[in-house]
Amino acid sequence: MEKRERGILLEAEKFKENKGVKKEKMGEEAKGEFEPKIIGFTCNWCTYAGADLAGTSRKKYPPNVRLIRLMCSGRLDPMFVLKVLLNGADAVFIGGCHPGECHYIKGNFYARRRIAAIRTILKQFGLDNRVRAEWCSASEGDKFARIMKEMAEDIKKLGPNPMRGKIL
Amino acid sequence: MKGTELKYEDLEGLFKGLLDKKAVDCLILPHKVGNNVAYMMATDKDRIEPPVPAIFAPSFSVNAANIVKGWTIPEKIGIVAKPCEIRAAVELIKLRQMDKESVLLISVDCSGTYKNQDYADHYGEIGDWVDSAKIEELKGKGIAIREACEICDNRFADVGDIGIARVDGEKVLVAGITDMGIEALSALELSLEDKEIERQEEKEKIAADAKKKEEELPKASSVEELEEFLRDCIVCKNCRDMCPVCYCKECFFDQPLGNPVGGDLLNLAELRGAIAVPANQLMYHLTRVYHVSTTCVGCGACEDACPKDIPLTRFYPVIAKKVQEIFEYVPGKDVEEPLPFVTYEEEELEDKLR
Repeated sequence: MEKRERGILLEAEKFKENKGVKKEKMGEEAKGEFEPKIIGFTCNWCTYAGADLAGTSRKKYPPNVRLIRLMCSGRLDPMFVLKVLLNGADAVFIGGCHPGECHYIKGNFYARRRIAAIRTILKQFGLDNRVRAEWCSASEGDKFARIMKEMAEDIKKLGPNPMRGKIL
Repeated sequence: MKGTELKYEDLEGLFKGLLDKKAVDCLILPHKVGNNVAYMMATDKDRIEPPVPAIFAPSFSVNAANIVKGWTIPEKIGIVAKPCEIRAAVELIKLRQMDKESVLLISVDCSGTYKNQDYADHYGEIGDWVDSAKIEELKGKGIAIREACEICDNRFADVGDIGIARVDGEKVLVAGITDMGIEALSALELSLEDKEIERQEEKEKIAADAKKKEEELPKASSVEELEEFLRDCIVCKNCRDMCPVCYCKECFFDQPLGNPVGGDLLNLAELRGAIAVPANQLMYHLTRVYHVSTTCVGCGACEDACPKDIPLTRFYPVIAKKVQEIFEYVPGKDVEEPLPFVTYEEEELEDKLR
């Protein structure tokens, strides 16, 4: 019981600290054009390195994506996708090594099945086009930049996530 | 299939024999309670009551696989239940919640069931069993079978180790489906012959009807409709507790992250500006449907368990079937077939990713 109460106190402290940060964190939209927010889950060995290459070789791509590095696309629990969408992000990008080239041999094969399943579920509610998985190797900086451009355009056309602003 | 034809009254001897010959250490089977049926677990053969009509009664109370979830002891248990319950048990074996060697699964023909309270209320009209003609007739009187049964296309006793199929007249065909089933039947000194009952045509008709009915069901097709569909949910998690294939020892939604209280809840509200309470309602259902997507047998226990009468059959089995289609997987059909999420093919599903 005591432990639980202490936990709540700590959480309350955190709440006070975070209070002012919220607006910035949630990225309140600038006036004018809709700027989608895309959360990208990329694997450490291929797509993250590919994104790095896109940066070091000065490829331009829209700044809508926020990358989260995972060790492998197989680390992606489809609950991450649900949570991202429920918290109001407009799209989810998942990047992994090409099938057969996984650093952990078969992580992306499992990831592929999971992503196909979660997309099938989201399809029932018209949300599947907000989730996109691509295989992008460490040498494909071009491809990474191209995908980001395409995605930003696609989601701009789609409009904001219908879950955003809902009391869920 | 190796089997033998028995009269209804011989079934009592069959079940007693299974206990007597130590083919199983205990037996779960339905028995009559007033106008209804309920499951019992018997270890003493003298406590077995005549199993007909109880085993054919079109009443669904709890999924029998739920009773043996986490049967981690070596003693052997026999389960006499409807095909959906047996299929759930097969999935639990694959999920390593039960040992294949410590369960003897006996499936019984089913033609659709009523909620157990409906069955008790209308026992006079429904009687001890129904066929498709009677189901239609009763539907006209406003007594309908469960939606889960309407869209079910696996009603025959061809799953598990032993199947008990109803044949014309006062007879059943008891057939061993797996080696373990045949062994158990042989121990009873039954004369087993090669028997087949040709029901392919009937099976196809049922599947076609079920598919049609499934398509006719109203479904949520957008976020707004889903929000409306789940509006009354109080996140009591009964649907999880009664689901035979929702088996985690500690559910994510019982932990602080999934079930936030106090400061955690406040932080969540602060993150989104405003949240619904109880929290994580939509997250709970979407996560759960993903977790059971490959193993859902469509028994409809979730809908029966819902205290708010949300028609969850239109959500869980319907969506799960869509996922099972992409993996061409039928849950509970074959105990040797690996679960879709623990296997893969090198080239597949590329059109489902973007």
